[in-house]
Amino acid sequence: MLSTFTIIEYSFFCYFIYLILPKNEIKKFVPIAWGGFLFFALVDFFYVNKMEGFDSFASGIESIIILILCIFYLYLQIKNANDLMIYSTFNFWIIISFLIYFAGTFFLYIMTENMVANVAFQKLYFIINIAFNILKNLLLCIAMTMKMNNTDGTAKLSSPVPDLDDDIFFQQPY
Amino acid sequence: MSFLQITGNTLGATNVLILGTLGMFVMAITLVSVVVFHQRRVIRFNKQIQKMEEERQQMLLRASIRSQEEERQRIAADLHDDAGPLLATARLYLNENLIHQEPAVQLQSIFSAKQIIDDSIQLIRNISHSLMPPTLKNFGLEAAVKDLFEKINGSGAINASARFHDNRQRLDDEKELLIFRILQELVTNIIKHSHAGFIHLTQNAQGNLVYFRIHHDGKGIVQKDYDKLEHDSDGLGLKNIQSRTRVLKGKISFEIDSTHTYYKVTIEVPREPNK
Repeated sequence: MLSTFTIIEYSFFCYFIYLILPKNEIKKFVPIAWGGFLFFALVDFFYVNKMEGFDSFASGIESIIILILCIFYLYLQIKNANDLMIYSTFNFWIIISFLIYFAGTFFLYIMTENMVANVAFQKLYFIINIAFNILKNLLLCIAMTMKMNNTDGTAKLSSPVPDLDDDIFFQQPY
Repeated sequence: MSFLQITGNTLGATNVLILGTLGMFVMAITLVSVVVFHQRRVIRFNKQIQKMEEERQQMLLRASIRSQEEERQRIAADLHDDAGPLLATARLYLNENLIHQEPAVQLQSIFSAKQIIDDSIQLIRNISHSLMPPTLKNFGLEAAVKDLFEKINGSGAINASARFHDNRQRLDDEKELLIFRILQELVTNIIKHSHAGFIHLTQNAQGNLVYFRIHHDGKGIVQKDYDKLEHDSDGLGLKNIQSRTRVLKGKISFEIDSTHTYYKVTIEVPREPNK
């Protein structure tokens, strides 16, 4: 059933990156990559893995596609730099959480299928997986906090606005 | 033996996993750092450019205000120092005691007062002409420029000529005044600083653009000097030229011809038909 998790995880990521990417060729590539990966993961799940074991191959491909999309998003941020600091947007924190998580667990997932029976590997698996999961969740927490701050009311003026209706002095005769 | 091989493979795979994971993690962190630092640098650079542009705008605005103030002071001085005493003198001639004077004295006083009033009228007309040349208002830029060049020619110090090739479609009054002021300033600068023997102005139009080019054989400036002087110099002339060119949404360029004999100043102005 791990393939199902991979497919759902990948689908949510694709939807998210599709929403935040500006209109360009890569944006068109996201649904194609999603469909292609879905097909590949299902074939891997039903015919290669025969519905059992760890889907290392699908996870590896998923990691590579997600890493490419994350890098492309960061490239776009450099290319279309505006006056807003990149780390003041929640999108950036979500993207780097995925980037770091998938970069960190890439080797882990592609080796799991063949090494799952090894006790030393199992220990490492938990350490690495948990460490990167915690890091990912921390970064996602930052992203969510930023989102809440961004929607937390409108900007307030630092001092009370003085009376600006000077015209009244000219309209009222003595 | 087989056990040792398995153990060796396991250790190798574990090392690959640890090194691979660390490598990927370091790469991801480096990538993020590079993006963040690069973006910070770009933003800092953009802000610096924006600040410089703001300072430049401020400088032009200050120059424009200073120029207006100087113009007002000049008009005030002309009125106070010239028109004021003239009218006061005329008033003295036309005082109440005039009726008790001899008819001959009365006539002489009236004649003198008339003379002074005529001078005052001429003075005020001159002030008014310096504010808005009547030729420009009534007959347009071509007539005003030719009039200006004729006056310069009349002094005999410099040979000035102007030729308009395509002026069938007149510009807005406001634009014509701005162009006239720019040309006036350029010509004044050439007369004052370049020691030129001749000045020639050519006008032409192409598509939606109107071009004015001044040639002179004196000591001129090229674009690099203009950019430097416009920024560094305390003088208002070049700043006013720049701010007027901006208002016109035009361009100005300073060049020297390939034979290094003549200097050229070219103004390019987008044309909008006179309403």
